[in-house]
Amino acid sequence: MPKLIIDDREIEVEAGTNLIEAARRLGIEIPHYCYHPALSIAGQCRLCMVDIEKTPRPTIACNTLAADGMVVRTDTERVRETRRSIMEFHLINHPLDCPVCDQAGECWLQIYYMKHGLYDPRMVDEKVHKPKAVPLGPHVILDAERCILCSRCVRFCDEITDTGELGIFNRGDHSELALFPGRDLTNNYSGNVVDICPVGALTDRDFRFQVRVWYLDTARSVCPGCARGCNIDVHVNRRRPHHAEGRRVARLKPRFNPDVNAWWMCDVGRYDQHGVVDSPGRLPVPLGRAGAAQVEVGWEEAVAAVADALRAHGPEAVAVLASPHMANEDLMALRVVLERAGVRQVAFRVPPAAPADGDDFLLRADRTPNVRGAELIGLDGDAAAILAAARAGRLRALWVFDHDLTTAGWPAAEVAEALGRVETLIYAGAVASATSARARWVLPTATWVEREGTLTNFEGRVQRFRTALEPLGRSLPAWELLGRVLAALGGTPPGPRAEHWFRALASAVPAFAGMTYRTVGDGGQMVAGAVPGGAPVPPGRRAVVGAAG
Amino acid sequence: MTTEPILSRNFDRPAARTLAGYRETGGYGAWARAQEMEPAAILEAVKASNLRGLGGAGFPTGMKWSFIPKGHAGPVYLVVNADEGEPGTFKDRYLLERDPHALIEGMLIAARAIRSALGFVYIRGEYVQPWRVFDAAVREAYDAGLLGRGLDVIVHRGAGAYICGEETGLISSLEGKKGWPKVKPPFPAIKGAFGQPTIVNNVETLCCVPHIVARGAAWFAGLGTKTQGGTRMYSVSGRVRRPGVYETSVSITLRQLIELAGGVAGTGRLKAVVPGGGSAPILTADEIDVTMDVDGLKAAGSMIGSAGVVVMDESVSIPEALLVLARFYAHESCGQCTPCRESTGWIYRMVHRIVDGHGRKEDLDTILDVARRGAGTTICAFYDGAVGPYISYIEKFRAEFEALIPK
Amino acid sequence: MSAAVAFSPEQLAEVRRLQALYPDRRGALLPVLHMAQDTFGWISLDVEAYVAGLFDLSPAHVHEVVTFYTLYFRQPKGRHVVAVCHNLSCHLAGAPDILRHVRERLGIDVGETSDDGRVTLQSVECLCACEAAPMMQVDDRYELHLTPETVDRILEELR
Repeated sequence: MPKLIIDDREIEVEAGTNLIEAARRLGIEIPHYCYHPALSIAGQCRLCMVDIEKTPRPTIACNTLAADGMVVRTDTERVRETRRSIMEFHLINHPLDCPVCDQAGECWLQIYYMKHGLYDPRMVDEKVHKPKAVPLGPHVILDAERCILCSRCVRFCDEITDTGELGIFNRGDHSELALFPGRDLTNNYSGNVVDICPVGALTDRDFRFQVRVWYLDTARSVCPGCARGCNIDVHVNRRRPHHAEGRRVARLKPRFNPDVNAWWMCDVGRYDQHGVVDSPGRLPVPLGRAGAAQVEVGWEEAVAAVADALRAHGPEAVAVLASPHMANEDLMALRVVLERAGVRQVAFRVPPAAPADGDDFLLRADRTPNVRGAELIGLDGDAAAILAAARAGRLRALWVFDHDLTTAGWPAAEVAEALGRVETLIYAGAVASATSARARWVLPTATWVEREGTLTNFEGRVQRFRTALEPLGRSLPAWELLGRVLAALGGTPPGPRAEHWFRALASAVPAFAGMTYRTVGDGGQMVAGAVPGGAPVPPGRRAVVGAAG
Repeated sequence: MTTEPILSRNFDRPAARTLAGYRETGGYGAWARAQEMEPAAILEAVKASNLRGLGGAGFPTGMKWSFIPKGHAGPVYLVVNADEGEPGTFKDRYLLERDPHALIEGMLIAARAIRSALGFVYIRGEYVQPWRVFDAAVREAYDAGLLGRGLDVIVHRGAGAYICGEETGLISSLEGKKGWPKVKPPFPAIKGAFGQPTIVNNVETLCCVPHIVARGAAWFAGLGTKTQGGTRMYSVSGRVRRPGVYETSVSITLRQLIELAGGVAGTGRLKAVVPGGGSAPILTADEIDVTMDVDGLKAAGSMIGSAGVVVMDESVSIPEALLVLARFYAHESCGQCTPCRESTGWIYRMVHRIVDGHGRKEDLDTILDVARRGAGTTICAFYDGAVGPYISYIEKFRAEFEALIPK
Repeated sequence: MSAAVAFSPEQLAEVRRLQALYPDRRGALLPVLHMAQDTFGWISLDVEAYVAGLFDLSPAHVHEVVTFYTLYFRQPKGRHVVAVCHNLSCHLAGAPDILRHVRERLGIDVGETSDDGRVTLQSVECLCACEAAPMMQVDDRYELHLTPETVDRILEELR
């Protein structure tokens, strides 16, 4: 373990650590563009220069490994001058149009110019012109003039996805980032090139021009798009709703977790998940049936009615189809409610109409986030048997969470028959569907960004997601409405927050024993007996093709 | 100072292009001797000969060879840099065309010293004739059993990019990529072509090796200066009466070399000389009493580089000459790292404006400042090579530039 | 991809031979691109995609290579290529005048091909025959010590 001194402070780092990472441990930021910890060293941007004792001139930190006895300075006059020079070189041909650039506010040219540049521009000649606003595929758009040719995105497509769509063509100051003419950037991880682009060259077609980034709020979260549970940040727009026509979730960004998703998330997760939050089909208020119509009712009325339905008919006549989209806290609350009501028919595996495929990296075939949690909490009953019981007329009440049974992988006629014979259909979910439309009672639930909770991924990692937005309308987190039902049944919810249900879970289910929100933290915690496999090796790293680096 | 042609001894003998003709004057005798020597002994001889790289950097050849990791189990590659492209340089073309077996013999010996079984000869794509001649010699050497028994040689044609003369740009190109130089470390001797330890040597450098083995390191060292042995081939062009390749001791002075090439042509009055290829800082008429070895030129604030000497008489416009070179650097910058990519184009545009009569009075200082700031910040030496002319042409002939700038 | 872009079986055997020569087959990319240009006349995007397939490379990586080097033609070229050196020694020896003369004689500018498809004109960096400046490359040959008269004769002989 080499021990070195950076800006007069000693630090010991693992062998193989470069100076950018070693300095980062000390809280010292060495500015850089091309370096990214997940990618090979390119050494192109030349910004991360530092002074190393006994070295005649500044050296790039990204390609210098910490060595025992090394004495590094990141703040000498010479280093500052070099950074200023490099900033000027980066901006010679860069358009100075920050007011109309969507990257403004999170652009590392802006940030570093203010921190390390601040020279007076001398360039008066015509800049080199390149293509602007070029769609690269369904999600990404390129402004080649704003590109600083750091090659991060090129290396991403080579070294992470192994798809190789991007290249830097021509040479000199006519070098240009582009796709092979006629091809698209269609790999399932394309959104990540926007994340790693340090400037406004690659922007997100879904996000751009919605709202300025300084109006965004952020919450740490977990992607609910599949059983992986990629760690993400949810960026929401609460302060300028008129800028995005009421859309509240502005974008999802991957959040680093070395054990789950590293720096990445897939496009399915990034672009398909947040739609539900701002969907026009959201259910804002509890509904009860009055004749042919569903009308708004109060929560008290709905909860009382549901509690009655659960206990009025006897265990044999009541069943629940829970959902693997529910959080651990919700599932625990459901378990307690069912225990209280004596209901034993519960299941969650409603087959999808068409099974999805996983991909060769993060995306799992199981597109639900909490199968493992639902199994561990003990709700893994026989869904087909519940369907059969309903069709046979043995069920008087059926409570469905989230599922639209009419589009599930069951024969439509069987579902129609089942729903037709159930006397009291209760639906709890965030979005209206053909199933909710047939319900006697509709209980609107908050989406995952409107509440907090935990999910258990396919490996058994329990991970927290935080509240980014207020629940829409009068919708409630599922655990909360279940708590109200529990109270109506004469039980006592463990407390007014999701965390209380998690504590109840930890004491009731051995796999979760000893866990608290604090121990789960931001990185997640494995359930008892589960072995972490770590983030998968990216496809581009699996085979060493062309040993030459 | 020797006048005996060593590297150029076969230039006037067309027969020497054939194996039989090459052998007539002792060709492959050094290889026979080298086969009796331990690899380490060859390396020691090359070290003791004070041979320095003749492609541009002037690095001690024996020392370079010694960087191959001891006991490396995998392959080691020998790469010949025949990507001649430095403006004002043409000596490797002569060697490839007129004495191809000398290079093959040099490769055989060098490969033995560094324990390499595979050599590559990277010839610039435009050199079609030199490639044909050399390729024919390689086939002859295979037929004669000189190659293919311990050393295989692949003759590889470039495709038009000056940067591939930079040794790691060359390696990238050899690997089938753009000629982007590689970040160092690792250096090629540790991890070079195809990820294996690699020695890249210039054509002329390797052509010296048989002579060192045949006639001894001391003899070779004695031909030159204290820090550089041997003769070298000076490419002399521009405004001289007899442009051409001149082989002399590296202890010759620039003044003597110009005389050797017939003296200054044009007006007959010297204005300036580029002593070591386009990238060498320019020397004025009163700076030519300098020895033409690596250290002599370094002491004079320039560099010997590829030993391409371009002579300019008094009628030459220095701003126009700089414009030609600035266009060259803007065109040939590989685009990989920022200072070079962005500023070679900018400086070209500024020099262009000045020569066109639209200069601004601050342009000259801007060019100097930009060049100085970029120097030493890049992945490879290309930009430093551009900075040499940018700064020296303007500093030494500033009045000529100022005269073009409207008051 | 246009059906016309394909090597003959003999050429494919040569591609495989070249690929086997290098420690990594990608080393043969430049030689195979030279072959492709000789065969198809120039390197179209279809050719790039075809060659990429032969190397199991992404077409973008082949495009990077083709756009980096000056000797790969990305548009149809004339039957002959005339490349006039404009670097330092040739410049000192009158290359600008030679280039002007060639342009006038051919009636085309640098980068253009004559209407009859006979000649493509280029202005290029140092070809390293400075001792014989001004000079130009005509296809495979170096033409040295150019004067307007020798240029006329050389151009005249191009068919």
